[in-house]
Amino acid sequence: MENPASGPGAWSSSSRKRRERDEQEETPPDTDATGHSLSLEENFTFSDTLVALRIMRAQFPRIDKVSVRPFILRSQLYSSVDDRTQVDRELESLRREKVLRIFKLNTGQDDHAIMFVDDYLNQIERISKRMEGKKQYDVAVLEWFKIHVISSKLDPSIGHEELCTLLSMGGKVKDDHITLLINAGLLTRQLIDPTMYWFTIPNIGSVLKGLSQGRKELLSFLNRRKYKEMMLAPLERKCLRLSPMDMRFHLRDLIGSGHLKTAKTPSGLLVRVVKE
Amino acid sequence: MWKEIGKRESGELRPSLFCSRIRSSRAASLQLSNHKEIVSAHRGSVNSLQVDLTEGRYLLSGGADASVAVYDIQNSTHCEERGLVAKHKSIFVIDKQHEHGHKYAISSAIWYPIDTGLFVTGSYDHYINVWDTNTTQVVMNFKTPGKVYRTAMSSLATSHMLIAAGTEDVQVRLCDIASGAFAHTLSGHRDGVMSVEWSTSSEWVLLTGGSDGAIRFWDIRRAGCFSVLDQSNSQLGRRPPFLDHSAMNKASTSKSSAAGQSSSVKARGLQRKAANGNGSKQSTIGRVRSQVKGSMKPRLHPGLLSSQDRATAHYGAVIGLKMTGDGMYLLSAGSDSRLRLWDIESGCNTLVNFETVRLQTTKPLQLSLTQDSALVFVPCMATAKAFDVWSGKTRLTLRGHYENMNCCWFNAQDQDALSRKGQAALDEDNWSD
Repeated sequence: MENPASGPGAWSSSSRKRRERDEQEETPPDTDATGHSLSLEENFTFSDTLVALRIMRAQFPRIDKVSVRPFILRSQLYSSVDDRTQVDRELESLRREKVLRIFKLNTGQDDHAIMFVDDYLNQIERISKRMEGKKQYDVAVLEWFKIHVISSKLDPSIGHEELCTLLSMGGKVKDDHITLLINAGLLTRQLIDPTMYWFTIPNIGSVLKGLSQGRKELLSFLNRRKYKEMMLAPLERKCLRLSPMDMRFHLRDLIGSGHLKTAKTPSGLLVRVVKE
Repeated sequence: MWKEIGKRESGELRPSLFCSRIRSSRAASLQLSNHKEIVSAHRGSVNSLQVDLTEGRYLLSGGADASVAVYDIQNSTHCEERGLVAKHKSIFVIDKQHEHGHKYAISSAIWYPIDTGLFVTGSYDHYINVWDTNTTQVVMNFKTPGKVYRTAMSSLATSHMLIAAGTEDVQVRLCDIASGAFAHTLSGHRDGVMSVEWSTSSEWVLLTGGSDGAIRFWDIRRAGCFSVLDQSNSQLGRRPPFLDHSAMNKASTSKSSAAGQSSSVKARGLQRKAANGNGSKQSTIGRVRSQVKGSMKPRLHPGLLSSQDRATAHYGAVIGLKMTGDGMYLLSAGSDSRLRLWDIESGCNTLVNFETVRLQTTKPLQLSLTQDSALVFVPCMATAKAFDVWSGKTRLTLRGHYENMNCCWFNAQDQDALSRKGQAALDEDNWSD
């Protein structure tokens, strides 16, 4: 485990402002092509949900082993925009306008992932190409799913009857087709109710495992420290061993879900574990 | 405050506005009281608190050690610390030694809403007892098939004296004090019912929240529930949108078109829900529902169709319900650690986000609202948080208990909030400004 940056390293880039999106050119290690700072401390809060979504989508880490399109967690949005009610309402109106879709994840009681509709359709394309190669199943049902079900059903869950009805607008539906959809990773049965399904993002299993392990690792790292806190700047530069996502992703998520909180200090933001 | 008094004197401020400003400023400055203390007579955790509705003077508390105690919160019994701290001891305590007392924990203790001559307690020993306060004897008792989680009586009722009981059993029972028997059984929930509330705008409407996560509205004059709240039905503001039938109708037409193609009972349930949704949008709760029937032959009794509706209001169990005084909004707390604000007229979730991290999941919670419904007090683990109802921001965090809090009560007359802790409380905390 690498040591956190010691005194001289933390002072080297001295122009760290607190919580405002700062466009100053400086030379910390993580800048993008235009030289704008991408560190979490600079770009902590945004004014608008859509802006926050777009920027976080652009900052989604590239994972080599699985091909998954960028998604954003709801808790990340809560930590990035001040007013949570505004976030909820804007998400709802964007969802109704079919700009994005919300999926319920199984990594916790209230976890939701937000994905732009274009990314989701792109992901389905990849799945159908992969399944066509196998030639075992009838892949037309994926097309029906895309055309009929996704465009009309905007909720994160769907009932069995309604699913069959919507799919039958494309052709004759058999139980094998639903099995195909579940195998492709587009639907999951609900545990509490056997006739309801959740919509899911395909190929996301390992990413979700990395998500929950990364959360635990970050929380245990901070809990092992003497005062259960650390400055944000050096914390952000650490890598998590068990998660393919970067530290910034996890920090936003944990701050938004209330497990960590930030405090302003004269030398920058401080991240602390919430004790209650 | 002096400025307000000056304005009132000169006539710039009207009396009602003056009252409400004083009340809200007092509520906004609540702190742990250092001059008033209530000495708890319970030896276990306290599960339920209520100040009587008629005078605001007597506090009834029910504990997990099967004891019930009544305190006078306006007149203290003795003073300590050189007259600076007023202590309130209990007027009487009923515990397990009483011949008709409860055997297990008491989950809910409420006053009879008309006067303080009677009170009702519900306990985990499956009994609901009605006690006479002056003689501390049991006047009547009801046996329910499961542990009683919550009991409620309507404060508006003029023509009935029904106690609504939410138990571990899936049916909600209405017990009648006048006849001593069960009057109704309301079925529709698929798991135990953790919270029951009567509507503040109609004496016939009951709201129940179950461990299956559903919130149902029942009109007790008819069979079946007339509305189930669905968390995915949401509206973007405080009031239902004016001419926006498109959002409601889009949801209901997609469901009814799905229903048109299959003939199962479930689809009829969906269509019935859509019809009910539109019906309740146009009529207020007090009036008779518009009987919009589906075009299919009803195979089930119309009141039971709603039992097919599986919409959930929360992802976990619903552990607390509170209706605002004007009967227009409902706050619900769920074991998914979310608090939601519902607009009752349209049946939609108003998407106000309350910043709660964790709520206890096994016991029912008691929420409390200030009189003008601007602040809601929620016990969140070891603190009580006061949230602004319309924006969801945390206004106050009241810390003072050593253990988890179960219930809290806002006394509207004195703007005091009382809260009760879990295990081994030695004294109850009283918060005032």
